Amino acid sequence: MSPETAINVDHVGMVFTLDDGTELTAVRDVDIKIGKGEFVALLGPSGCGKSTILRLVAALEEASFGRVTIEGQDPAELSRAHRLGVAFQDHALLPWLTVKDNVALPYKVAGKKVDTTRVKELLELVGLGKFAGARPSQLSGGMRQRVSIARALVLRPDVLLLDEPFGALDAVTRRHMNVELQRIWAEDEVTTLLVTHSVEEALFLADRVLVMTGRPGTVAMEMKIPFARPRDPSIQRTPEFHAMADKLTLALEPEA
Amino acid sequence: MRLSRPQIQDLALGVLGILLFLLGWELIGFYKLAGLTWPRFSTVMEYLFDPSRRGLFGRAMGASFSMILGGYLLGFLIGLGAAMLSYTLKPMQPGIDRLASTINAIPPIALAPLFIVLLSREVTGMAIATINVFFVIYVAATSGLEKSRQNHRDLFKVLGASKSTRMLRLDLPAALPSIVSGMKYATPAAFIGAILGEWFGASRGLGLLMVSAMQNFQIPLLWSAVFIASAASLIAFGLMSLLERFVHGRFS
Repeated sequence: MSPETAINVDHVGMVFTLDDGTELTAVRDVDIKIGKGEFVALLGPSGCGKSTILRLVAALEEASFGRVTIEGQDPAELSRAHRLGVAFQDHALLPWLTVKDNVALPYKVAGKKVDTTRVKELLELVGLGKFAGARPSQLSGGMRQRVSIARALVLRPDVLLLDEPFGALDAVTRRHMNVELQRIWAEDEVTTLLVTHSVEEALFLADRVLVMTGRPGTVAMEMKIPFARPRDPSIQRTPEFHAMADKLTLALEPEA
Repeated sequence: MRLSRPQIQDLALGVLGILLFLLGWELIGFYKLAGLTWPRFSTVMEYLFDPSRRGLFGRAMGASFSMILGGYLLGFLIGLGAAMLSYTLKPMQPGIDRLASTINAIPPIALAPLFIVLLSREVTGMAIATINVFFVIYVAATSGLEKSRQNHRDLFKVLGASKSTRMLRLDLPAALPSIVSGMKYATPAAFIGAILGEWFGASRGLGLLMVSAMQNFQIPLLWSAVFIASAASLIAFGLMSLLERFVHGRFS
C-alpha cells in the first residue's frame, strides 16, 4: 500500500430500517484504507455487505456510523466533479444509444466536449472497435460488460468502482474478461475497488484482497498479493496461487 | 422492410376484413336493409369524389384537420409539460394529478358552451381536443417518467448528472415508449374533441357538414363527412402504431 490514502472507509457502519420498523445492520465497523493507484478487491459471499461498502464509496448511500472520504473529501463531491468511474454487475448501458454513444455518455453528463479519439481508443482497448455503431441489444453479455468498463474509464476517473462486473457471465468468459481487465487497468493504474465473490478473480486482479464475512459484515482477513504486474494468466496455475486461493476460501467459510 | 409469414397473413386477413366490411355496407344499402338513411358504399364514394365537391370537402377538411392538429400539439405540450413539472417538483405531483383527473371527470361537451362564450365558436373544437389530448398524454408521460431503471439512475448519480441532464438523457428517453403509446391513443381523442366542438356552430369543418347534412336530410353528404373523419382518424392511428413499434423496439 502506498503511503498516500485515496479512499478512507473510516469505521463505517450501516443500518437499514425495514418496512416493519425493525433495524438491520448490514455492515459493522468496517475500516478500509486504499492507497492511490492501488487495486483492492473486497471478497465475500452474497449478503455480507460488500456491495453496501461500494455504494457508500460511490455516494449512493450515506453511512449510519463513521464516514467515507476520498482524498479527504465527501464521495459526493467527487461524483459531482465527474471524477468517479463505476461498472455494475448489470452493465447499465442505455438501450437507445449506440456502443460509441454509451461510452461517450460521461462526457455529455459532465457537460464536456466528447473526445472522440479517447472513445475510439478505449473501444479498441476493450476489443470492440468494430462495434462502435452497434446497439447494446446486439452484443453478447461479455461485450456489454466491456463497454461498461470502457464507459467507466473514459473520463480518466480518480477512482474506479467495480461491482461484480463479470458476476453474470459464465466461467470461461469471466476468466477471459479478467485477463482483459488486468491489461486495461495496467494502462492507467487508477485507484480501484472491486467487489466480487470470486476468489480467483480477486487474486488475479488485486494488489490486496480483503475478505468480508458475517451478518453484519466485517472485514475478517487481509491478504497482500505478491504477483508482479503485468500478470500473465498462467500465474493462476502456480502452486502459490492455489495456496492463497485455499487460504481465502477458508477465510470465506470458516465453519466448512 | 421484409415481412415475415405471419405478418403477411395478418396483412392479408386485415385487407380481407376491410373488403368484407365494405361489401356488407354496399349490400345493406343495395337491398335497403337499414332503410333510406343507409346509402350504398358506391353511392357515398361517387358523391365524395365528385369533382364539383372537391372545394367543399377540401375546405371542411382543411378547417377540421387544422383544429385537430392544433389541439393535438397544444394538448401534447401541456400534458408533457405538466408531467415533467410534477416529476421534477414531487410535492406538486398529487395536486397536478388531482387537477388533471378533475378536468377529465367533466365531460368536455359540458364545457363547450363556456368555450364558445370565452373563446370563440371557431376554436371551441380545438379547445376540447386540447383537453382530451392533454389528459391522455399527462397520464402516459407521468407513468413513463417513472420507468427509468434503478441501475441507470445509480449510474447517472455516480456520473454526477444534474437534474436537467438526467431528465434529458435518461428520464425522457426511458419515458418515450409510454409517451408514444399515449400519443397513439390521443389521436382519436383529438378527432372526437374537434368534431364535437364544430357541432356547436363553427362556420366550417367536417362537424358543421355533419350537422347541416343531418338537418337537411342530405344522406350521402352526411356519410361522406363521417367517412372522411373516420378514415383520417384510422390512418393517423395506424401511422402512430408504426411509430410506436419503432420506438418500443429502440427505447425499451
